[in-house]
Amino acid sequence: MNELRWSDLSVGMSAHFDAAITEEMLDTFAALSGDVNPLHMDAAFAKAGGFRDRVAFGMLSSAFYSTLVGVHLPGKWALLHGVDVEFKAPVYAGDRLRVSGEITFLNEAYRRIELKARMTNHSGQTVSKATIQVGLRES
Amino acid sequence: MTQADVIQAIQPLFRDVLDQPDLLLTADSNASNVDDWDSLAHINIVMAIERHYKVKFALGELQGLKNVGDMAELIIRKTAKS
Repeated sequence: MNELRWSDLSVGMSAHFDAAITEEMLDTFAALSGDVNPLHMDAAFAKAGGFRDRVAFGMLSSAFYSTLVGVHLPGKWALLHGVDVEFKAPVYAGDRLRVSGEITFLNEAYRRIELKARMTNHSGQTVSKATIQVGLRES
Repeated sequence: MTQADVIQAIQPLFRDVLDQPDLLLTADSNASNVDDWDSLAHINIVMAIERHYKVKFALGELQGLKNVGDMAELIIRKTAKS
């Protein structure tokens, strides 16, 4: 886990990591959230709607934006203030995602970081984009 | 640039951050009399103003502000220096 402090940060600084989506993650997310919509739970239903397989929850893959700031940029001292996410393409179990983010703005007065982030699948297709607001705690 | 000019210019920023398309900002507007102007919204407002005017505020400059009129005067001072 990174432990970046305010003085370590600059506009343009970036980070990325890879994450895999599994069937088990879909099932676990459904159990945790209570979202049992058949688009996420029933492959036949999803295929009838034109999807390749059951579709991963957008909020499941978006959880990796939490990992991006909480573990990588800035890491330990992050306090997530907000995530504005746009879903661009479906994510399926078996997809391997590249999660990346770059600092686009730093507010010195309140020590607030803005990141532009995106996720791409193993084909290089963007599956979501996000603007993330992160506070930086001192202790 | 007058205080009224600045208030007119920053009104769209407030409307966007606070998601209030009809918000009418005055010099007396502050967090107590504008709905949803909480601490996180305040940071978003300050960042939007910094971006709009390409200025950076120090915490000390922001702590003494009592209302939008004070903010407008601060913006006038900051932009005059840059």
